Order: sequence, then structure tokens, then C-alpha cells
Amino acid sequence: MTTPLTGPPRAVLRLHRTALIVWGLFVTGTIAGLVWLNTVTADSARAKSARCDPLAYCADPFANTSYSAPISWISTFICYGFLAVAAWAGAALIGRELEQGTARLAWTQGVSPARWLAAKLAVPALVLTVGGIMLVVAFRWGWAANRDLMGDDWAFADVFVARGPATVAYALCALAVGTLTALLLRRALPALAVSLGAMWTLNFFLERYRESFWPTVTRTSPPEFEASRSWWPLENGAIIDGRRTQDVPYWECDGTSAENERCLDDLGITGHYTTYHPQSHYWPLHLVETGIVLTVAAVATLIAFRLLRRRTTAPAVRKGASV
Amino acid sequence: MTAVLSTTSAPAGTGRTMLRLHRTALIVWAVVFAGVSAALLWAYGPGASAAADEWRRLCLNGTDVCQWGPGLERYNRVYALAEYAIALLPSLVAAWAGAALIGRELEQGTAQLAWTQGVSPARWLAAKLAVPAALLTAGTAVLVLLHRLVFEAQAAPMNWSWYDDDTFAANGPLAIVWPLAALALGALAGLLLRRSLPALVAALVAIWGTSLAVGLATPRLWPWETRTGTLRTGYPGGTVDVIFGGQGALTSTGARIADPMCRDDAQCLADHDVTGYFTDFHPASHFWPLQLIGTGLALAVAATAAATAFWLLRRRTR
Repeated sequence: MTTPLTGPPRAVLRLHRTALIVWGLFVTGTIAGLVWLNTVTADSARAKSARCDPLAYCADPFANTSYSAPISWISTFICYGFLAVAAWAGAALIGRELEQGTARLAWTQGVSPARWLAAKLAVPALVLTVGGIMLVVAFRWGWAANRDLMGDDWAFADVFVARGPATVAYALCALAVGTLTALLLRRALPALAVSLGAMWTLNFFLERYRESFWPTVTRTSPPEFEASRSWWPLENGAIIDGRRTQDVPYWECDGTSAENERCLDDLGITGHYTTYHPQSHYWPLHLVETGIVLTVAAVATLIAFRLLRRRTTAPAVRKGASV
Repeated sequence: MTAVLSTTSAPAGTGRTMLRLHRTALIVWAVVFAGVSAALLWAYGPGASAAADEWRRLCLNGTDVCQWGPGLERYNRVYALAEYAIALLPSLVAAWAGAALIGRELEQGTAQLAWTQGVSPARWLAAKLAVPAALLTAGTAVLVLLHRLVFEAQAAPMNWSWYDDDTFAANGPLAIVWPLAALALGALAGLLLRRSLPALVAALVAIWGTSLAVGLATPRLWPWETRTGTLRTGYPGGTVDVIFGGQGALTSTGARIADPMCRDDAQCLADHDVTGYFTDFHPASHFWPLQLIGTGLALAVAATAAATAFWLLRRRTR
């Protein structure tokens, strides 16, 4: 380890050069795509939609999509790229080596199991972190550059992840979880499936409960009010007899506006409320999720090292005890 | 192929061995099949009646906007989830066939071992393909029937559209044929690359690429219905719930040109000789011709991939 690219780290890079090339192409291709979309496509899409009357028919009613659709795809790929990392780590990085016995061969060649695993994890972690940071920085610029052409907002599930360090955290977590499942199962294809499933499940639940990672804001007022477009709206309804309710029987009220108003008064509506996250909650929400994902990554890594140590030292200990 | 399945006279390494070797896959398929069937049956029975009740209660009392309650939400979600599972099947089959069914056997040499034990390579591949193909076909045929049942019965106006990619496939033989094409493409990828993980990736790319190409080609292979409008009426109406083809302006000679965007500018309309507008589309009545064209294309992919796999295997083992 005196010179950085010898021994196990060098072996990891050589062995997984296909994966390295694919990752490199993905990072550079995505960044190039973002630059192209924001410098060339954005202007032509805007010119095309300027010719359209928004209310009348337009030959290309979705002129914006030549810009917005690829940007949406890029946010999806950056956010969910960790699924590919999970599959690769489970199958190619660790699972295959244990299945085919090449790991055990390496352990007899002067590389201790712990050092073998450390190299297996450190090199991809470094590559993923560097590439991930580049992707996030490029995406933050590319996503914000032409907001008028986009229909999404900061609270979209994939945009939420792709605009911050959670992207890197998910990738590192996928690496750790893939490694752990492969060490547990010791077979490439089952490890691929289980690691993919585990990361998908983790993301599914974090996405579902994302809104609760920071206290929400509730605004109440007697008249109904427009929600700001920058909010992440969670719940809104009316206040009847001091209690918040979402099921207001509005359909019972009809007729002139005066009749309507009296009818609503009769229902006992004294005000309206909206529960939401303002845009300023983006960073607290994002960082809490990043923290959870990194904790899972750390725990998985710790268990992986423990498991490996127990498995590679246990026979010797047992032998020693029986003597 | 039936001879392969009657294992009494067949040597080891055919039908029954297949089922034993791939019992995990068999269990997964059984669970997926049971789960999706149960979901669709639920949506057809209790789910539909709960949704219909709720629709009558919330949405049929003269209100302009009606918000779905939990009954309609659950009905819609279960239907969408079942449909999603059916749509995901070709990808799963391709990955499995490329990696576990063929790629791993060639990588680890177990295929070569089988060929020395009285099972000819062609027969080995035939068993590898026939057993999953039979199990997949039997299952997906039931799922398609159940999906059609739920789709047709639609308990409330749910905005399920017949032309949505996943819905379109799950309502006809396309959902039966795509998993078979995935099986054949996976086997071909496994034989070509002879390594499980590269074969897995190649099979996935192949099935995504071909289904994308077939999806783009299908609407263009059946004549569009065309409706025209005059200068006064503008674009023809009545084209809802359809797949759109081209749209544009018509000149006095009947030629089709790109809409010059004149709107009501008479001078501009005269300059471009615009006398009307047209819209090409596929109405819902085109479902079956489109479905059969797509099925034909997917079957052609499956047959070509399977034939290439057998040819490749024979050339390699001769």
C-alpha cells in the first residue's frame, strides 16, 4: 500500500475494468447530455413553444418535451443508478469471487481476507463518490438552468435525490449492501437478486416516509388560499368546529355565491388549512435521509467485515480448542 | 418437444432435472403467478364492488370534482400493480434465461458435462427452452384472461386507457409472447457470451431494445383512420381515447403539409393554400389488428432468436 496502485487496489481496477468503463461512460455521457440540452435544445424548444398559443391548437403541443423529457430521464437515472451498483456489487464484485473460489485463492496469496475486502470496497467507493459528486454538481446546474421549460419540482422523488449528497450515499449503501448479501449467500445470481431487492425496498420506504423526516408547516386562515408552487403540499382541508377535516361535503352546497357561502357557513366551516413543506425544508429533509442511508451503509460494512473475519478464523480457533 | 417432457424414457438432464435445478425460479414464478392472479381476482370481485359503491356515494351527487376515497384508490392501485408485474415479466425472464438458465451452465462447464452423459446438445437446449416456455405460456394465458376481465368490467370511470403500453400488452397475446421472446433472447445471449453476468446484461438490453422497436413499429403497420376539419372548424374533434398519428394542414389539391401556424390570419392561410386540417389516429376498434401485428413481430423475434441459438450450438459442438 506504499504506492497507491499496486496490490489489491490495482487488481480490483483491472478485474472490473468493464464496470469502470461503463460508469465512466455514464458519468461523462450524462454530463455531456446536460450541457447539450441546456445550451442547444433549450433554446430551440423555447422558440418552438413561443409560436404556440397555449389555448389554441399547436402542431407540437408538447414542444417542451424535447427538453423536459430527457432531463426527466437523466434525473431518474442519476437517482436510481444505485440499483445497478447493488446488482453489480452483489454479483460481480463479491458473489462471483466466493462462488468460484477465486477469493479463497487470493487469501492464500498473501492478501488477508480483511485487506481483500477493504480493497474491494475502497476502490469502488472512491470511484463512485468522485463520479457521483460530478453528477450531482452537473445536475444541480442543468436542472435549474431552464426552469420555465420543466413541469417538475424539487419534491419529485428522483429530483429530490439527484440534487444532493443522497445520490452518493445511496451508491455507497448499495455497494455495502451488495457486499453483505454476497458474503451471506456466497453465490452470484442469488446475491444479485437479493441485493437489488433490499436496496429497492430501502428506497421504497424512505421515499414513502420522506415527508416525515422534518416537521411540516401548517397554515390556517379563514378564507381559502392558493398554495405556493414552491411548496410540497401534503394535506389540505377545512376546519369544522375547530377540527381539521379533509372530507367536506362541498357538493351539498350549490346555487348563487351568496347561497353557497351561507351553505358553507351552515356546515360549520370556520377556516381552511394546508400542511406542506416549504422549499427551505429541502436541505434538512435531504440531509436526514442521507444520514439514514449512510448509517445503513456503515452498519452493512461493519457486519460484512465481522462476518468475513468470523468465517475465515473460526476453523483455526475450533482446531486450537480441540487440541 | 413432448418427448422431452415424458421423462420416463428420457435420460437424465432433461425435463425433470430442469425443474429440480431451477426450483427457485419455479417457486418465484409460482408466487408471482399466484399473487398477480389473486390481485386481479380481488379487483374483479370485492375491489370492484367497493369501488363502485364509493363512486356512487362520492361522485354521483351532482358535484363537478370528486375526490377518490380509499376504495377507489385501492382498486386502482391493485389493478396498476398487477399490470406492472405482468409488464415486468419479460425483463425478469430475459435476465434469468441469460444468466441462470444458460450462461452459468456454460461458464461452469456443467452443460459440457451434461452433453457427455447421453444428452445431445440440441436436446439439452430443447429441454432448457421447452419447460420454461410451457410453464410461462400456461401462466401468462391465465393472467391475460384475468386482466381482460378486470379491464372490461371497470367498476367506475377509472381513466384506464386501452392504448397505454402496459395495458395494451396485458389485454392480449402480446403479454404471452414477450416472455417467450425474452426466454429465447436470454438463451441466445447465454450461448453467445458463455458467461452468466455479461449474458444477463446483454439479454436485458436485447429485450428492451426489441420491445421498444416493436412498440414503435406496430402503429405504423396498420392503416390510420383519418378525420378532416375545415378552416372554420379547425382540427377535427371526436378523437379521444385514441393513438395519435400525424396531424397537419390540407391544401386545395388535397396534399398534406405541416401546419404553417396561421391561426385566423386569412392572408397567411391563402399564401399556404390551406383549406383544412387532418388528424390520423387509431381508434379503440383497431385494438385487435394492432395487437396481432405486435404479437406477430414478437413471435418472429422469439423464433429467430431460438433458431439462431440452436444453429450456434450445433455449429459449436459439431
